[in-house]
Amino acid sequence: MTTTLAKPDYDVLNVLALKKMAGAPAIAAVVELSPDDVEERLASLAAGGLAVVAGGAALPTDEAEPRLAATAAEIYAGVRGDDDVLALVEQFEKTNAALLTTMSSWQQVDVGGRKVANDHTDAAYDGKVISRLERLVGRLDGLIAALARHDARFATYATRFATALAGIDDGDHDLVSSPTRDSIHTVWFEFHEDLLRTLGRERAE
Amino acid sequence: MADVLAEGYNVFDTKKSPSGTVKYLESPADVIGLIQSGKLAEHILLVRGGTTTFLAPALSMGAIGVITMSGAPESHLGILSREFQTPCVMTAHLTNSDSRYVVGSTDEAHFVEIARELDGKKVRLDCTDDEVGRVVAD
Repeated sequence: MTTTLAKPDYDVLNVLALKKMAGAPAIAAVVELSPDDVEERLASLAAGGLAVVAGGAALPTDEAEPRLAATAAEIYAGVRGDDDVLALVEQFEKTNAALLTTMSSWQQVDVGGRKVANDHTDAAYDGKVISRLERLVGRLDGLIAALARHDARFATYATRFATALAGIDDGDHDLVSSPTRDSIHTVWFEFHEDLLRTLGRERAE
Repeated sequence: MADVLAEGYNVFDTKKSPSGTVKYLESPADVIGLIQSGKLAEHILLVRGGTTTFLAPALSMGAIGVITMSGAPESHLGILSREFQTPCVMTAHLTNSDSRYVVGSTDEAHFVEIARELDGKKVRLDCTDDEVGRVVAD
């Protein structure tokens, strides 16, 4: 039987696994720990064979996923039995499909049946995509709140979405889909992966 | 006409036509190993598909091209490859085989066959078509 992780270690390793590669400051920005504390946790996870630390960044090892899964099964048994959460998760699947399509329409536009890169010169088009994104993000409110009743850490997703949307409103459009920033796509992807792990489900093809 | 080994969805049109030796990546450890080897830019990366989320570090570290055996251009990996402008052929199938990926009912042999055929081959990606991405022998 796979042993489980204690809570701060789960949070740190979980965020690392969601980000796939991250330094202590990026992890500390999401979990309620200082960068120094995260650094210490990472060193201990590395010593336990669950992470590799190289050149200021850490990556999860292949042993990380099974350990996280075993821990999630234990600490989120209550979430998995919460009918309110499960009903909201059903809706999320639909919202997720709409989000992926909307992200693609931010990156590419249809010109005469051919997809070409969106050069972002059509402010009205971009504005419509952004408002659709805002609506889709808004649809997660109930689910995030329901999850946060079990574990307060889920509330950080609401804060991250709000920060990204505020930046976009201020004209920082990289915050829509940039993979190197805490963009809507980055936060959404991490939320989705986190949700799947929390529920013990696999990602659908 | 160059020998087209495999075809799939072209995630975005690009004149970039990266060439390299195909490297099949099965797990996060394979990705870590490749990044640490310093030889990331010599390889076209082959993964199973849209659910393969462990590829992100390779993309951010400068992967030159990606082939997947499942998944759609609208998937997370498709979105990332456009953001990083990394040419990407998704749900590739071998041109000399009738085996095709079908969501939810693809047996293991399909993936094994593609990995066996492509892994280690010197190829170039042709992503100039707006729909079809091609893996060409180089």
